[in-house]
Amino acid sequence: MVVVRLFSNPVFGRIVTSSLFAIGIAGFANTLVDRGVAPKVEYVRDIQPIFAAHCQQCHSATTKMGKLALDSAQAVLKGSSSGTIVTPGKPEQSVLLDRILGKGGQPRMPMGFGPLSDKDIATIRAWIEQGCDTRGAKRAHWAYVAPVRPKVPAFPNSHWIRNPIDSFVYKKQLEAHLVPSPEADRETLIRRLSLDLTGLPPTLEEVDHFVSDKSPNAYDQVVDRLLASAHYGERMALPWLDAARYSDSNGFQQDGDNYQYVWRDWVVNALNSNMPFDQFTTEQLAGDLLPGVTTGSIDGLNKLVATGFVRDNMLNNEGGAIPEEQRNVELFDRVDTCSTTFLGLTMACARCHDHKYDPLSQKDYYSMLAFFNNVPETGIPSDTIGGYYIAKPWVYAGSSDEMAKLHSLEPATTLAEQTFRKFEKSPQAQAEERAWESKASKDAAIPKEISAVLMVASEKRKSDASNRLHEYYLANGLAEPGKSTRKKWLDLRKELEDLKTALPKVMVMSDRQPRKAHVFSRGNYESPLSEVFACTPASLPPMPPEEPKNRLGLAKWIVSPSNPLTARVQVNRYWQLFFGKGLVKTPENFGVQSEPPLNPELLDWLAVEFREGGWNVKKLQRLIVTSATYRQTSKVSRALYQKDPENRYFARGARFRMPSLIIRDAALASSGLINLKMGGKPVYPYQPKGIWDGLAITDERDFTYPQSKGSDLYRRSIYTFWRRTVGPGNMFDAGSRQVCTVRPSQTSTPLHALITMNDVTWVEAGRALAEKVIMSGSHDPMARLSDAFRRVCARRPNSNELKILKRSLDRSLAAFRADPKVAETYLHQGERQPNASIEPIENAAYSNVCAAILNLDEALTRE
Amino acid sequence: MNPFFERDLRMTRRQFFGKTASGLGVVALGSLLQQEGFAATLQRARGHAAGAPALPGLPHFPAKAKRVIVLWQGGAPSQVDLFDYKPNLAKMRLQELPESVRAGTRLSTMTATQGKFPILPAIKPFRQYGECGRWMSEMLPHIGSISDEIAVVRSMHTDAVNHAPGVTFFLTGSQIPGRPSMGAWATYGLGTMTDELPSFVVMTSSDEKKTCGQLFFDYYWGSGFIPSKYQGVQFRSGGDPVLYLTNPPGISPELRKGVLKDITDLDQQRLADYGDPEIETRITQYELAFKMQTSVPELTDISKEPASILEMYGPDVTKKGTYAHNCLLARRLIERGVRFVQLMHSGWDQHGNLDTQLELQCRDTDQPSAALVKDLKQRGLLDDTIVLWCGEFGRTVFAQGDVNRHDAHGRDHFGACYSLWVAGGGFKGGTEHGETDDFCYKVVKDPVGVHDMQATLLHQLGIDHERLTYRYQGRDFRLTDVSGEVIPHLIA
Repeated sequence: MVVVRLFSNPVFGRIVTSSLFAIGIAGFANTLVDRGVAPKVEYVRDIQPIFAAHCQQCHSATTKMGKLALDSAQAVLKGSSSGTIVTPGKPEQSVLLDRILGKGGQPRMPMGFGPLSDKDIATIRAWIEQGCDTRGAKRAHWAYVAPVRPKVPAFPNSHWIRNPIDSFVYKKQLEAHLVPSPEADRETLIRRLSLDLTGLPPTLEEVDHFVSDKSPNAYDQVVDRLLASAHYGERMALPWLDAARYSDSNGFQQDGDNYQYVWRDWVVNALNSNMPFDQFTTEQLAGDLLPGVTTGSIDGLNKLVATGFVRDNMLNNEGGAIPEEQRNVELFDRVDTCSTTFLGLTMACARCHDHKYDPLSQKDYYSMLAFFNNVPETGIPSDTIGGYYIAKPWVYAGSSDEMAKLHSLEPATTLAEQTFRKFEKSPQAQAEERAWESKASKDAAIPKEISAVLMVASEKRKSDASNRLHEYYLANGLAEPGKSTRKKWLDLRKELEDLKTALPKVMVMSDRQPRKAHVFSRGNYESPLSEVFACTPASLPPMPPEEPKNRLGLAKWIVSPSNPLTARVQVNRYWQLFFGKGLVKTPENFGVQSEPPLNPELLDWLAVEFREGGWNVKKLQRLIVTSATYRQTSKVSRALYQKDPENRYFARGARFRMPSLIIRDAALASSGLINLKMGGKPVYPYQPKGIWDGLAITDERDFTYPQSKGSDLYRRSIYTFWRRTVGPGNMFDAGSRQVCTVRPSQTSTPLHALITMNDVTWVEAGRALAEKVIMSGSHDPMARLSDAFRRVCARRPNSNELKILKRSLDRSLAAFRADPKVAETYLHQGERQPNASIEPIENAAYSNVCAAILNLDEALTRE
Repeated sequence: MNPFFERDLRMTRRQFFGKTASGLGVVALGSLLQQEGFAATLQRARGHAAGAPALPGLPHFPAKAKRVIVLWQGGAPSQVDLFDYKPNLAKMRLQELPESVRAGTRLSTMTATQGKFPILPAIKPFRQYGECGRWMSEMLPHIGSISDEIAVVRSMHTDAVNHAPGVTFFLTGSQIPGRPSMGAWATYGLGTMTDELPSFVVMTSSDEKKTCGQLFFDYYWGSGFIPSKYQGVQFRSGGDPVLYLTNPPGISPELRKGVLKDITDLDQQRLADYGDPEIETRITQYELAFKMQTSVPELTDISKEPASILEMYGPDVTKKGTYAHNCLLARRLIERGVRFVQLMHSGWDQHGNLDTQLELQCRDTDQPSAALVKDLKQRGLLDDTIVLWCGEFGRTVFAQGDVNRHDAHGRDHFGACYSLWVAGGGFKGGTEHGETDDFCYKVVKDPVGVHDMQATLLHQLGIDHERLTYRYQGRDFRLTDVSGEVIPHLIA
């Protein structure tokens, strides 16, 4: 069955009949000013969400202020203590409308909050006008009904449309009397693509090549090159790490480090190899439960490491922490992380009581919790290795060479020990030992505590004394071949222990400790109520019957075609990555309280395309970035901005400040400082002096920031050590990595400006960029400035801009000439030495201008 | 949009660049501004930029207070020794705490399995202070001297038995990290009163020997899911008071100002070309950053404070990073329009060093805490500034460790009852609220939960704690979660 849902916007929109679609862009605007009836307002789709968002806090069946409830159609029609609130067909006689408008001498509703938007008021008015139809009021919330592939609207005469995404977008634009913007210029396009897909700006060569490549598939080739880049995975991993609350430390007192970076590398590799999303999900939730998975093979080990996703939670090591309490806190976190990341569900609300809006009961919550409840863990760290504090279960997870070595050393050590023990028990060895003992009892060189044992007759010796003597003999008196046999074993054992100490130990999942699960009264683990069993929420389609009721079954259910949420939630987050905001503006919540998407057909089409296309992530992303929608310029006219300030109709390209981790990468890359080495232990780039000193409140451990040296200072931001208690000072607006975060923070504060102006990272990058353009050959300041600007913004500055840059250069030259000593001071920021062949005043002046270029809005923004 | 704020911004812009500095970019912007409608867009952008006005509808009712100072006593001070006077316990020294008293109370794992629970009465005598005649420890003479200014709650209780969850609960309303903190809520709801300083400032200190071991995590002043511009900004005692505040060595303020003008002119070119109001926001933020570079050092420079003021705060006041120094800075911040100041002090976790450490902690914090209240009062600021002195929980009446060794015993964490005090901002000085049983073990009258205290603080700020909400994951979250009642007895 194909359902075409025409979710037209009741204020802007007019229902467009298919006969209109044949008309091209030029004529559409006139045509659309049709004289048709206003679109039908639907109670469930249009009215219910307004009540839910703005009214039900005070007017629900439980709160019922003024005896009015607005959470069921029946109650709405019934009205309040003073009578009905709506008069079908007569908005002017409806109390509801008066109250939201603040008419009739009564306070405006919602009281204490801002007024409803004009759009919402118009929708309510239209609904009353049309007769207060509440049909379908019991219909399920859209996100709980599995998406069906909508028919792609046909616009045969449109020259703008490149793929189905554009058809859906175009249709909405028509309804709102909007037209698409022209395509962005090529410099903008390649910078946009490069930053979006790899988090790195294009090189000058890449820009030049693309600008001059007149072949029809030039754009597609750039897209394919970037999708195949190893840096693609690093870029795409960033939002996933925020969702997974990935961090390199535990996040409480003593804030022990962990080895979860191995999991981080797993994510990067999986994304680079375009692992299908269903597999990506299954391995992270339940890799340990897949058939045949053991630590013995690299493949098996990888699947175990993948489950580090579930174990990336905070871990409390405070003195006096009650382990079972902490274990439950971790379980809550896992339920919340899993349901937000994969399902866009706000399960946390059901921890203490049934969900107030969504059909999620408290029983559902604890049934989900039961999936994660069987891990052989206590709730607090179990092992301390230096500054690392980790909790069982964990696995050794080194490189394939290291693992091969581990797997050969372990049996070899056991064998060597057995060989020696066999020898030790042999009559020959025992005779030798007795002979040594009688000789030693007369030997003056034997330590006192040993000779004291020897004085006692052998059958009267206490066992610990006897052992001490025996150990002494083994270490000092053993003759060949016993001595060599023992040495071989001890050497192997030491080698094995050293290897084990050095190997990363990744916390992973295991179901080896089955436990009973209960509903907790008000979320309190000390007040268990009825027992529950692992199960997915009752109101959603059931788990496939053939799947086990464990995490593996949960994962299979998440990616089953009947699951209405997973594909929508994922494609929405991909959209967010490329357009700054999702099609559903609340990526963390697809429930009843979410904002319904303006373009649900586009969302559903993408979701079905994604799912039916084998959960092929790169394929879906390729579709998005090759759409005409994506390729539009982000310039906005006054008129367009006024009509659509939030760009919900995508009648222009998206323009937004880059995530701070990428701003740093881009500065390092433009200046040539960047070290693109991938993976491995986290590094410690520049941070303000004493960034962690606040943590060093006791002598328990040293919290001196161990700043890296040399090229490790310039690794990509993803490899920066993330201390959960004190995040990197120069990576603003990033997820806290304490709890699951799927919506990036996009604020603008003076503190951000201080970072990119004053942090040595940017000062040094400015100098490296300056030296690069100075050494590139040209002596013409305009050419040098233009070159620097291009390396950051990909385009050439226009003449006005060049004039300002030159003014800035002259300003800096004058300042440094007036005081040459400060030029030297300025040049010696950061570890990298200035290029001695460049005259210091000139170098300092160019460095200062280049640092300014790195601070342009354009440099911080993906246009 | 607040028109005065808007006017200030534009005036500042002119002052910032001087009259002659009308580059081409400025001209282009000017012509844009004349266009109908676009100006409104830019105004909105600026409003978002600088932190912001109060939310519509706020305050919900006339506010008694505009500002808050939290004097956080981290590690959990002993109410048994300081505030909750139980003279009869002296006679029961080292007797076993009756099982009937203990039953059903949550203890930390450090003492839950302890075999004996010997009663340890207050280690120093109490005496009466002020006209209200309140009993408090003789170790707190200075706080005693403001006895008539402060309201003491003796019936606080909390669910937490460990520091991080306890602190997180009090400061964010939930034991689990990730919710917005009180300061973030207050600045989000009430907006900012200055654009030269952050509106929510945090400073930390600890006892000199760092015996306490409590860390301060940034989620204690985080913004959770509300925009991160509302999170507390930590002023540090070493290096730059605000991270990255200082120009790189070699860049003078004049050169920086010049380069900022160049950046602004280039940004305005882009604004003219792209029309994205975010560019205007960015320009404003760079200007504010420059202003902060002057206003923060001015704030932290206490050299012009008269000797009489310094004396009030005690000898440590001139030592950066001490509690006393931070108390003085708190007053300077409040004077300059900062909305919420949170001093995080660590030093009260006396498990095994009660006899040796408690008195030292009192000495470090008693005089500066009292001085701050007095100083605010003499400047007329106490009336609309709340000063809250509290920790994450209390301590057990029974001893932990070896009571026969002077330096090897103390008290464990205890959430079932503890004490705090609050002054100013319409709180009733001299008030007592709540009572505990004879063993300082259970609340027997007027219990006050953490959410009740939060509700009362917000109430004084003109905020109905049930109506200051933020929608996240489809739910309207609030500081007090699903509980909390204002305590009328505490407020005038």
